[in-house]
Amino acid sequence: MSANLHLRVPNRIEELPGVSEAVEALGREEGWPQDVTYAIVLGLEEVATNVVRHGGGEPGSSEIEIEVTSSDDEVRIEVRDSGKAFDPFHEAPEPDLDAEVQDRQIGGLGVHFVKVLMDETSYSREGGRNHVSMVKRRS
Amino acid sequence: MNVQVDHHDKVLVAKVEGRVDSSNSQDFERQLQGAIGEDVQAVVVDLGQLAYISSAGLRVVLLVAKTLGQRNVSISLCALSDPVQSVFEISGFNRIIQIYDTQADALAAAG
Repeated sequence: MSANLHLRVPNRIEELPGVSEAVEALGREEGWPQDVTYAIVLGLEEVATNVVRHGGGEPGSSEIEIEVTSSDDEVRIEVRDSGKAFDPFHEAPEPDLDAEVQDRQIGGLGVHFVKVLMDETSYSREGGRNHVSMVKRRS
Repeated sequence: MNVQVDHHDKVLVAKVEGRVDSSNSQDFERQLQGAIGEDVQAVVVDLGQLAYISSAGLRVVLLVAKTLGQRNVSISLCALSDPVQSVFEISGFNRIIQIYDTQADALAAAG
């Protein structure tokens, strides 16, 4: 059995809470554990926020395509956008997790969360679009 | 998202409710910074009713901690749910900001 959520939203930050709600609803239907739902909603928000903030286009000028597929043992999350080529897993700055409060740099955390919370991540550039793929195992 | 403020002598308790994400983190920053007056000696941020926070919200917590640190005002967090606690641990923030199990513990340490 698998259930699927397929969304296309304009590249605007204000669209993202609606995406989170839709993913949470899928998680409730599919019986994901609470920490799995949190990780998926967070991973998706972080990736989509990066697309909106760093994709290059004006807000609302392009679309982000999101696909979430829930199967018995894992949840697969695909995010595609037509912004400028950007591999978040290799090009985003690494946060310095050991810095003291005053030295700690703001930012860089979103991609770090995705890397830690997801079981698999990958990036590719296909047909002029960025494609971020994430897998979260359900247990 | 909503920030409720309570004063316990010179300790300010800011109770954050709901969700903090990239769509409302600026509002969160305004509410939190706006609540912290000049005469405050310590700030306790109660996250017991916080259902969700992403890196956008953590950025605000770090900004506020930096601002308060420059004024020698202490900041601590309390009552984090398990998923929220995980996010603070993954970010390493649990090593730079004090986290207490309950608001009473945080107040006892701040007072």
